[in-house]
Amino acid sequence: MKLEMREIHKSFGSNHVLKGIDLDVDEHEVVCLIGPSGCGKSTLLRTINLLEKIDQGTIRLEGQLISDGAANPNEIRQRIGIVFQSYNLFPHMTVLKNLTLGPIKANGMDPTAAEAKAKDLLDRFGLADKVHEYPDRLSGGQQQRAAIVRALVGDPEVLLLDEITSALDPELVGEVLSVIRELATRGLTMVLATHEMGFARDVANRVVFMDAGSVVETGPPSQVLGTPVEARTQQFLARVIEGGRL
Amino acid sequence: MNSPLSAQDHEPLTGRGRSYFDQEGARGALIAFVSTLAFIVVVLLVIGRSENWPTVQRSFFDFELMWESRSVIWRGFRTNVWMFMVGQVAIMALALLIAVMRSLKGPAFLPVRFLAIVFIDFFRGIPIILGLLLFGFGIPALRLPGLPNSAVFWGLVVVVLSYSAYTAEVYRSGIDAVPDSQRLSAASLGLTQWQGLRYAVLPQAIRNVIPALLNGFVSLQKDVALLSVLGVREAVREAQIITGRTFNYSPYVFAAALFLAISIPSARFADWYTARDRARRSQGAG
Ligand SMILES: Nc1ncnc2c1ncn2[C@@H]1O[C@H](COP(=O)(O)OP(=O)(O)OP(=O)(O)O)[C@@H](O)[C@H]1O
Ligand SMILES: [Mg+2]
Repeated sequence: MKLEMREIHKSFGSNHVLKGIDLDVDEHEVVCLIGPSGCGKSTLLRTINLLEKIDQGTIRLEGQLISDGAANPNEIRQRIGIVFQSYNLFPHMTVLKNLTLGPIKANGMDPTAAEAKAKDLLDRFGLADKVHEYPDRLSGGQQQRAAIVRALVGDPEVLLLDEITSALDPELVGEVLSVIRELATRGLTMVLATHEMGFARDVANRVVFMDAGSVVETGPPSQVLGTPVEARTQQFLARVIEGGRL
Repeated sequence: MNSPLSAQDHEPLTGRGRSYFDQEGARGALIAFVSTLAFIVVVLLVIGRSENWPTVQRSFFDFELMWESRSVIWRGFRTNVWMFMVGQVAIMALALLIAVMRSLKGPAFLPVRFLAIVFIDFFRGIPIILGLLLFGFGIPALRLPGLPNSAVFWGLVVVVLSYSAYTAEVYRSGIDAVPDSQRLSAASLGLTQWQGLRYAVLPQAIRNVIPALLNGFVSLQKDVALLSVLGVREAVREAQIITGRTFNYSPYVFAAALFLAISIPSARFADWYTARDRARRSQGAG
């Protein structure tokens, strides 16, 4: 088991956001988190790579306990990458510098090796001509692809993706999703929060439906999205279909 | 219903705006030139016709005395220049250190943050002149072994500490203006808090505050003259000595001209830089 999360609780003040989440992720598995806005998807993702401290529960990476200060968060974040909705590239650095900063300074990678790796990845994801550009010269889709590549240069074992297409114009969504599809084919373990149900059905090995801080239903995409058992899942999907997103 | 922002209402407005500015550009320079000239003529007439003008001229604009005292005051002014140059470098470094101390997050850094806040509150709250009298006279009088006794040294220390307290807050506003998502982004790459600050946040923060730092520099150029109260032989002090001997204020005017010769270009440079920076940003955002 790559990731094991047990009984995860998290509150912001009096707002109980995660109410005892259990989640396992296998090596090479792609897990999609779906659920209504505010149900805790982003919070859950951020607890996984220790950007949020959990109040209760345990998180294990490859069997090793990483929650409760059992591991150095900076080292864990080199092993578990994350990409956010709003790209968050560093605006004062070229794309290449953005990509190599983490690997060089955090992972201690050799600068020439890191640059070669970054250029190779940019090339593979169609950004070869953007190596020396600043982020504000890139389209939203290009920025988001650069942000994904940035998370990949350090060779993470798990990649977390938080609504990476939500801030994009519809015509740019495809190019970003195809990057994720390729990563899935290459066997990268991924957990992604998404509102793109069609994409979830396409790329996920397993879909996890969350509501109000709990996991309500989990299973293969055809089951959770096609023939959901739980009433809450059915209601959610009915609303999504109404909104034209399936 | 026609909303006030509908396209119909908007179009002709933009059209008018444009033609107005075109005219402004062509005729504006001429209008500005003529009105400035007229203003200067009026001022000169009023001053020149005043009964007291000859007296004023003798005690403030005695060019012969200015010429005689030029090298002494100029030597003093060179002291001002190196004081504000050295001071500015020290201020930028110390203030950055304090701002960073103050913006470190987490319970472990509480003492560090506390220290920074105490420093800022203390040195921002004391008038520089009072600090100068206290340190500049007080510490040399103690004759502490191993510490310099010169008034310049301690005076400069006071100015640097006081300015650093202000400048630290300038840096901090720049740090606060960098979105939290940038720190988060740095942390998610496995960078430590310090590395995140150093490589992601501070470069953006410093760029945010360069105009404010330039303004502080213009201000510092004048405030190092306060060291004259400690007897430091800078331009104001030298002018004061000559004035004390001749009962004529022209050396002060000469010293003032030297200060203006540096501070006006500096201020214009700060304005120019700020405008250019703003233009670049709005371009980047658009
Ligand atoms: N840093 C924070 N401080 C306080 N409350 C927070 C914080 N982050 C999230 N919350 C709260 O936690 C709850 C869950 O938020 P979260 O962002 O995890 O939801 P989500 O499922 O990702 O929603 P969306 O689909 O809109 O992205 C919300 O009520 C939110 O207001
Ligand atoms: Mg979210």
